[in-house]
Amino acid sequence: MAKDSPIRALLTILVTAVVCSFFVSASVVLLRPIQLNNKLLERSGNVLALTGLLPAGREVSDDQLLDLFKSLDARVVDIDAVELDSEFDPYTFDARKASTNPEFSVPVPAAEDIASLGRRSSYETIYLVWKDDRLERVVLPIRGAGMWSMLYGYIALESDFNTIAGMMIYEQNETPGLGDQITKPHWQAKWVGKKLFDDTDEVLFRVAEGPVHAGASGAEYQVDALTGATITANAVTAMIKYWFGPNGYGPLLERMREQGVRKAADGAAQEG
Amino acid sequence: MSAQHPLTTPLIKENPLALRVLGLCPALAITNSMTSALVMSAALTVVLVISNSTVSLVRNLLPSSVRLIVQITVIASAVTVIDQFLKAFLPDTAARLSVYVALIITNCIVLGRAEGCAMKENVGTSILDALGNGAGYSMILVAVAFQRELVGKGSLMGYQVFDPVSQGGWFPENALVTLAPSAFFIIGVLVWVIRTWKRDQCEKPDFEPIPLPRREKR
Amino acid sequence: MDHLLDIFFRTVFIENLALAYFLGMCTFLAVSKEVKTAFGLGIAVIVVETLSVPLNSLIYNHLLRQGALAWLGLGDMDFSYLGLLSQIAVIAALVQVLEIMLHRFFPALYHSLGIFLPLITVNCAILGASLFMVQRDYNAIESVAYGLGAGFGWALAIVAMAGLREKMRYSDIPAGLQGLGIAFITAGLLSLGFMGVAGIKI
Repeated sequence: MAKDSPIRALLTILVTAVVCSFFVSASVVLLRPIQLNNKLLERSGNVLALTGLLPAGREVSDDQLLDLFKSLDARVVDIDAVELDSEFDPYTFDARKASTNPEFSVPVPAAEDIASLGRRSSYETIYLVWKDDRLERVVLPIRGAGMWSMLYGYIALESDFNTIAGMMIYEQNETPGLGDQITKPHWQAKWVGKKLFDDTDEVLFRVAEGPVHAGASGAEYQVDALTGATITANAVTAMIKYWFGPNGYGPLLERMREQGVRKAADGAAQEG
Repeated sequence: MSAQHPLTTPLIKENPLALRVLGLCPALAITNSMTSALVMSAALTVVLVISNSTVSLVRNLLPSSVRLIVQITVIASAVTVIDQFLKAFLPDTAARLSVYVALIITNCIVLGRAEGCAMKENVGTSILDALGNGAGYSMILVAVAFQRELVGKGSLMGYQVFDPVSQGGWFPENALVTLAPSAFFIIGVLVWVIRTWKRDQCEKPDFEPIPLPRREKR
Repeated sequence: MDHLLDIFFRTVFIENLALAYFLGMCTFLAVSKEVKTAFGLGIAVIVVETLSVPLNSLIYNHLLRQGALAWLGLGDMDFSYLGLLSQIAVIAALVQVLEIMLHRFFPALYHSLGIFLPLITVNCAILGASLFMVQRDYNAIESVAYGLGAGFGWALAIVAMAGLREKMRYSDIPAGLQGLGIAFITAGLLSLGFMGVAGIKI
């Protein structure tokens, strides 16, 4: 068979395709469980950082991290129906994928879309931290358009659903040295103890234009500005305003405040 | 002919990046962190070795009409496998490298060496050539990343070497160096240094000024 | 429509594939010596991008991603890992077809582009645009806007670079910086300039 004959060419292609497919598929199938575990570990680390459950200063092993994570009361809430539960499993539900699925998401009208989300998933996974039978904290995912791309993070609220217990940003692409200060612990620490809402349930929280002095009026609703990162800071403010306003968690938090939350027993969730 | 050893020639004499200007895209984009640079260099070297050895093994069997397609398929498969390994065992770095690992497929070095060396030489030489080119590329990448991470963030491989001002120290972090365009400047200067050392690598200018006649002494 | 225009303008100016993400650098530095050649290559890149990104998007969304094969009853299958292979294959095939068509219908353009047309296959910018499209989950229509923007942005960058380099042809540059070195530094300054557009909202 001549080297350049069409049959030879076809045969070569076939052999190449089979051999390559074998190696590619084998690696994917064998490594997928490890990759999924990594994703879960990452999520666990992010959420647990805000729960106050991690022992300070001590390294936590991967297994301990996963155990702690599984011990949290995770719920997939329905934002639009203002329900604390839904059909989804909190450990497998992916809100990011859901936000592009027209069945599980809603488009955000331009007038309300201060965080430039485009579409918003109707369901999000929140985490309730219980101590004995008292609700201590709730961790909520938030996201919004930053200067360069989407910001993704979590915010933790105390049991009054108003005081901030912590925040973190786990995915961002802001300007290094300027906008990416939002990931630095020393700025995030300034959020602790600040409040989101005033008595009329309006979101007053924002990133200020300058430094915030402790005694000034409205100081409990503001955090220090970020030098040279006004656009990123405004994006963070818009993100908070959206997610805790009437189109985000606002109605849900109000319901949780008025009606209280009961601990899930045997997987079946109840509300007061 | 002077010693043209496949392993050492690509280090300085025929550095794939500095002389042949191949494989620039990752060099500019991911060199703001040494860990990323090292992982990317390792990934590229592994893909180079796999691709060079495979192509060299079958070089006499490949019909010329499908030569390129087979090379690209082998390279793309190798990159997919490496990508999966990185996502499994180094997820943080893999996330930071994002699309640049996948772009190794179009990295001119890989295809260039497959065509330029693996199609002509035996397996042993091809593997050495792959290692040499990988090492030459890594040298530049790590050198640039070293400067960018140290001056930009005051750290090396994630360990804080200098105390940055934002955490109460003395070191003013240089944001410009962490930004992408600085990689252009740093590599430009690096090329300048290499070409001042090895004069034979300098390019001739497009236009030479016409020498004016000398004034006669009166 | 606003959303599509936003994608287009973002990709051309703020997320320029050549100057912000450094894709297609090898060809960028090699071809940017003359405005005419740069312009021709730019047009070719625009055409390939506008065709390849939506095509790859269709293949990814209807054949490869998780749940895409539900219409065949295989809703559990996730072939997204074949994405890289299929994308590069589509691009290679597209460039081959383009080459044949140019040779037949526009022989002058075909000859002036010469070796650069097949080189588009390994231009990181082409594959990179498809990879970003997958990462950002664009649908088919958004992919058209993105592909157009990506190609246009890359073409804009290379033509601007060629213009600058043409102006520098008579400059007295140190021997070590001649050619490549000064091209890098110029590109760095151009890239810095493009960063100034960030934060603009359409």
